Amino acid sequence: MKKVLALVLALLMAALMFGLTGCGSKTSTDVTTAAPDAPTEAAKTTFTMGIDPEYPPFSYLGDDGEYTGFDVEVCKAVCEKLGWEFKVFGVNWDEKLVQLDAGECDCVWSGMTILDSMKEAGYVISAPYFDNEQVLLVKDDSPYQSSKDLAGKEVAVQLGTSGESLLNEDLKDLADTFGNVVTCDSFLKCFTELAGNAVDAVFVDKPVAADYVAKNEGYRIIDEDLGAEQYGIAFRSADADLCAQVEAAVAALVADGTYAKIAEKYPDIVANLLYLK
Amino acid sequence: MTLMTMVLKMAEGLEKTCAIFFLTLLFSIPLGMIVALLRGSRFKPISWLAKVYISVLRGTPLMLQLIAVTYGPYYLFGISVSRNKLIPVVIAFAINYAAYFAEIYRSGIESMPVGQYEAAQVLGYSGPQTFMKIILPQVIRRILPSMTNEIVTLVKDTSMAFTVSYQEMFTIGKQIANSQTSFIPFIVAGVFYYVFNVIVGFVMGRVEKAMSYYQM
Repeated sequence: MKKVLALVLALLMAALMFGLTGCGSKTSTDVTTAAPDAPTEAAKTTFTMGIDPEYPPFSYLGDDGEYTGFDVEVCKAVCEKLGWEFKVFGVNWDEKLVQLDAGECDCVWSGMTILDSMKEAGYVISAPYFDNEQVLLVKDDSPYQSSKDLAGKEVAVQLGTSGESLLNEDLKDLADTFGNVVTCDSFLKCFTELAGNAVDAVFVDKPVAADYVAKNEGYRIIDEDLGAEQYGIAFRSADADLCAQVEAAVAALVADGTYAKIAEKYPDIVANLLYLK
Repeated sequence: MTLMTMVLKMAEGLEKTCAIFFLTLLFSIPLGMIVALLRGSRFKPISWLAKVYISVLRGTPLMLQLIAVTYGPYYLFGISVSRNKLIPVVIAFAINYAAYFAEIYRSGIESMPVGQYEAAQVLGYSGPQTFMKIILPQVIRRILPSMTNEIVTLVKDTSMAFTVSYQEMFTIGKQIANSQTSFIPFIVAGVFYYVFNVIVGFVMGRVEKAMSYYQM
């Protein structure tokens, strides 16, 4: 019995080692064959965009298993234009700026609300590209018609979003009327809480809510603008040049129509895109 | 926000952290014993079921179990997600910790020399009597250090309740850290957990001493 076990283990390990070295040699040959063909490849800069991977329609995991969304597609087009290698990095939204500083990504570009605190902290923020509103998402068959109706009810919000800071600051009076504010680690979790009747409403950016209403039956947005704000791209304080390069590339995409073409795929957000106004 | 407000705000959440901790112990300690006894059953299907239970609960992450218990019933059967998150959180923690406790109990029970059972039989003790009066007291004494280990881990694991939006101390700490762009809440959380565990260590040390009546 013991011998059989030892044999099986040995075989397993051998298979594993073979698999690993197999992979290793394969990639190394790839590199060596690729290098002489394309000597410029090495000089290519990599541009890593930091996204919230659960933030449709701006950035999310598409049906094909690749990250997609409006922001991701625009960034990809920017990289193509500038000849950069495009990479995506999913940040932890409530630590996004720390991760940006740590160099895990080169920008945070994911339906990010421009906050004064970011500028004060020295981050380079691009020109705004999107007009956003904060809204309440509720179930279609619920009786709530305005934020006042939610007095004493449970409201979910994502931790680290501008909505959460609004409820803590400018909308503190409104938040105090709610029975409880539940913070989730992603909007999709907030929506699950709503779907499962654990909360009565979700406080969320309008395009995200609109996308959810379009894709899922039985929800509606309370028609009440609770906070106007704008989206931008954040770069490290030393990266003003990088920001200018990206902005120029976006402007070029707007000029040649690529930007509008990408926007067409996301009908819920087109009306609020500042470059297309 | 002053340090005092931060600490007070997080102390509010500490109440919920304690709720997870004590309720989990309350349910998982007896449940673990049941699983351990079933695992030792001579009726194979039952012992096999207990083995599968332990294997699955130990072999999958607690975070996954939390999500499964909280949102699983909704996704699978359309049952509403519980408004009182403490219920699914405690269920998930209790079934998970019961699996670990069951194995600790087993290690204790199996470490008892066969001679004691034989001696008890000679003295006319019945099976259950032997277990309750002779074996179990010694087992408890023997497994206390391993139990302390697991209980200390439980204190720290409570922070995982954040995944299902349960507003315990660490969640509140994260909220403050985020709104104040400050690292201090994490330090406060660290101090809270450490003090909690020092108390657990102290209490368990006392219990060990009180139970050391077999020592010469």
